[in-house]
Amino acid sequence: MCRWALWMAVVAAFGAAAEPLSDTPTPDPALVRGDLQVWAWNIAAGSLNKLVPGFNEVFPNCRVNVHMSGANLQSRFLLSLSAGVGAPDISQLQIREAPRYSITGKLADLTDVAKKYETMFPASFWQDCVYQGRIYAIPWDMGPCAVFYKRPLFDRYGIHPEAIETWDDYIAAGKELVARSHGKTRMLCLATGSLGDFFELLAQQNNAQIFDAQGRVAINSPEMLDVFMLLKKMFESGIGANIAAWGPEFMASLKADSVATYPTAAWFGGTIRDYAPDTSGSWGVFRLPAFCPGGLRTSNLGGSVLVIPDQGTQKYAAWKYIEYALCTPAPQIEQYRSFELFPALTTTHGDPFFDEDVPFFGGQKVRRLFSMDIEKIPPMVRTTDWMEAMRYISQALSKWATGGLEDPAVLLGRLEDKLSRRLNRAIAP
Amino acid sequence: MSHATGASLRMRVWRHRHFYLFISPFFLLFAVFGLYPLLFSFYLAFTKWDSLTPIEWVGLGNFATMLHDEVLVTSLWNTFAIGCMYVPPMLIGAFLFAVMLNASWLRFRAFFRAAFFLPVVTPMVVVAIVFLLLYGQETGLLNYLIGLFGMDPAPWLVSERWSKPSIAILLVWRWTGYNMVLMLAGLQGISNEYYEAARMDGANAWQRMWHITMPLMRPIFVFCAIMSLIGTVYMFDEVFVLTQGGPGTSSTNFGLYLFNVSFTDFKFGYASCMAYTVAFFVFIASLLILRLRKTSTE
Amino acid sequence: MKRALTYILLTALALVFLFPFYWLLISAFKAKEQIFVLPPEFWPNPWRVANFVDVFQKTHIVRAFFNSAFIAAGHCALALFLCSLAGYAFAKFPRAPGRDHLFAFVLATMMIPGAVTLIPVFVVLCKIHAINTYWAMIVPGAASAFGIFWMRQYTMDNVHTDLLDAARIDGCGEFAIYWRVVLPILKPALGALGIVLLIGVWNNLMWAFIVLRTENMYTLPLVIYLLNGENRTPFELIMAASLVATVPLVAAFLVFQRQFIQGIAAGAIKG
Repeated sequence: MCRWALWMAVVAAFGAAAEPLSDTPTPDPALVRGDLQVWAWNIAAGSLNKLVPGFNEVFPNCRVNVHMSGANLQSRFLLSLSAGVGAPDISQLQIREAPRYSITGKLADLTDVAKKYETMFPASFWQDCVYQGRIYAIPWDMGPCAVFYKRPLFDRYGIHPEAIETWDDYIAAGKELVARSHGKTRMLCLATGSLGDFFELLAQQNNAQIFDAQGRVAINSPEMLDVFMLLKKMFESGIGANIAAWGPEFMASLKADSVATYPTAAWFGGTIRDYAPDTSGSWGVFRLPAFCPGGLRTSNLGGSVLVIPDQGTQKYAAWKYIEYALCTPAPQIEQYRSFELFPALTTTHGDPFFDEDVPFFGGQKVRRLFSMDIEKIPPMVRTTDWMEAMRYISQALSKWATGGLEDPAVLLGRLEDKLSRRLNRAIAP
Repeated sequence: MSHATGASLRMRVWRHRHFYLFISPFFLLFAVFGLYPLLFSFYLAFTKWDSLTPIEWVGLGNFATMLHDEVLVTSLWNTFAIGCMYVPPMLIGAFLFAVMLNASWLRFRAFFRAAFFLPVVTPMVVVAIVFLLLYGQETGLLNYLIGLFGMDPAPWLVSERWSKPSIAILLVWRWTGYNMVLMLAGLQGISNEYYEAARMDGANAWQRMWHITMPLMRPIFVFCAIMSLIGTVYMFDEVFVLTQGGPGTSSTNFGLYLFNVSFTDFKFGYASCMAYTVAFFVFIASLLILRLRKTSTE
Repeated sequence: MKRALTYILLTALALVFLFPFYWLLISAFKAKEQIFVLPPEFWPNPWRVANFVDVFQKTHIVRAFFNSAFIAAGHCALALFLCSLAGYAFAKFPRAPGRDHLFAFVLATMMIPGAVTLIPVFVVLCKIHAINTYWAMIVPGAASAFGIFWMRQYTMDNVHTDLLDAARIDGCGEFAIYWRVVLPILKPALGALGIVLLIGVWNNLMWAFIVLRTENMYTLPLVIYLLNGENRTPFELIMAASLVATVPLVAAFLVFQRQFIQGIAAGAIKG
């Protein structure tokens, strides 16, 4: 009996697969029925769950079940997409992976219903949600970057964050910090084995692309050379602590004096709150140092999207939930308030919530700080094998950092070659 | 003459038609789930495919990638290391248990046999979960017992150096009974006449063991060794549930790595290439081991 | 004296080997705090039956049990039928042209490692829309060359051709001969092979993880594995579910111990 039902579902899904979600005039919300399954992880899942009551006020006949299933999420999602059965109605994906899934044709085409929201999201983000002009994902949260710092340490060693405007300033301040603390305190965590995130942050900040618009390997560029030279300088200056990101030592450093700053994304605030709630009030944020005076002082790291697998049978209801959670300001602000998920929805950024003093950061208006210059963040061209390329780059960075930091120009030449070979892509001229 | 043979062949086939009918279900299933996959897999080894986008031909590209794949090398090394850690103690243990159970005067044989064999029939998930508890860093029973002896707790599952031994211990527990049963059957297959003759010649128990039992058991030993080593290459459940291959890649064996490449990264082409290559080498290695056995049998 | 030592040693070892089962048993009856307490408790105090009530209410274990049972029964039935039929054919039709070559081919297929065929079989199942059905677990792997080999051997040893000839003279159809004459004789071998196959398919995790995509189709090991992966599943629930999953197998094993061990040994000795 259950197999029969499954066959029906498969056939129905097949039938529904061809059409993009259409923007018919919204029927009576009470008529929108559904029993939606949503896959998300950790904080994000909790956040989505919190929004369900509000959603049900508008759409009372729609049930939403958010699964925080951690085990092998990617594997199970891909298996279900591939097999055409078993995928949830809505799934969370990292923004970096979105292009990989958009190309498959297994995600619902949201162009007709979501086009009107295009201008409400940053271009850099929206780009990864679109494939060949069709929209397949909706941006959820993003990770605008700045530097979290510990006020007590800066005060103790006389470092002034306002004076740090460029990365050179940052390195100089770092050297002073290390000198004055006699090596006890380092400026940041710079482990040779976990450079991937920091690299991505810097690359996007400086518009150093890995691929060009035609998907060719474009890593050997002056902008990328800047990024590598900066990393080389940082390593050579001795301001970094060799603490692997997200390891136990790293988490412990949040409460200790070993590391003074964390250049990373807004969502890191949530991590600090979770792990070191007692340090409330002693943190501050200053803008990301620029590559050169007057340059861009922010970047993006991380962020997620929500997608609707095409095999679902309740796509309209699913869309209504996504629209509610991601495209309307109030729920997005709620998620920022409760779970530190920085909304990608730019229309929220004018909300007074962003101008509040945040006690955790010593009363600083950090939300306003994070929201500055978001529209100026250069989009990062992401291809479907982005994650694989990043893996090769991380491995190469690790070898480079532990192997004596050879001339970056040489390294870039080799990387270009390797990426081209492994990913079967031409090299951009 | 050929005409006559042809007619007689057709007639013979027709006469024995039930034979072909009866074996056809097997061959049919094999064609769909054995032969076709084998050929398709071979083809995939030369392609790049994630099952969601069109297949791309890459020729020898996957083989080239294999040469530079550090994780593949690590997984093969891990497989070898885990095999070395667990197979010798397990085979020795299995043999000793079998010898003890083979004693003609032993009672409660069924009980002991069941006790040692039960780990084999238990779902691996359950075994791994129980061992997760026992291996617990702070609250695990093993570390507690170690503490009673005044030693530091061992980082069973959180240290890169300890993850392989932890798996090896689990494997010994799980598979000793299985190999014991095989060896027991082998021991029972040795005719008593040999022992009688040796006893009459004045050989003591140790000599009987060394000169009769061991040589006659050699085929079983070789068989068990090969099966265990091949098993270590492809084993999945144990690693998947207990350590997920971690920490890092320290306990990733080939079976888990293949699964990850296949069904987590969804690189079907590369996975097929790896599977074929490793299967080929395992096959060669098995042949070599069998060869060794043949040349040393008088 | 030697005997006493042997008994002591064997008993000690047996207890060591059985200890994890004991730990499973008592953990399933503990509350979460008791599972992770130091020093570890060797006797639950009290014995919490609530865990099992929770397991039956909050997880899909009943459904998973049914799925596992149905799949195991289906797989065994199919495989036993195929293997006994083909094994009988290979054993008792000596003059069929090409028989020996075909049998050699069957033996050769035993050398194919499953790892090489995983992906294509998955793809085939996707294409025929058999993913997430019982067929996906039952059919692949039912064509067991090892099974045929064993059935053929057993048939040759135990089924007398005179019996078959007599039946043919009586006008019995070939399939009827197989069904009514041969099968009953094969019962012990079928039992042994059956139980080996049963335990194999019941405990299978990897294939279940790959082909079963919705919760209502999950098998028992898969349910337990996924329970363990969930972020917030209480551990005592996992232990209780594990116990529920293990008990039937242990029971089946204890009852059919001899057949099972015979099955394992037979395969290896002749292999």
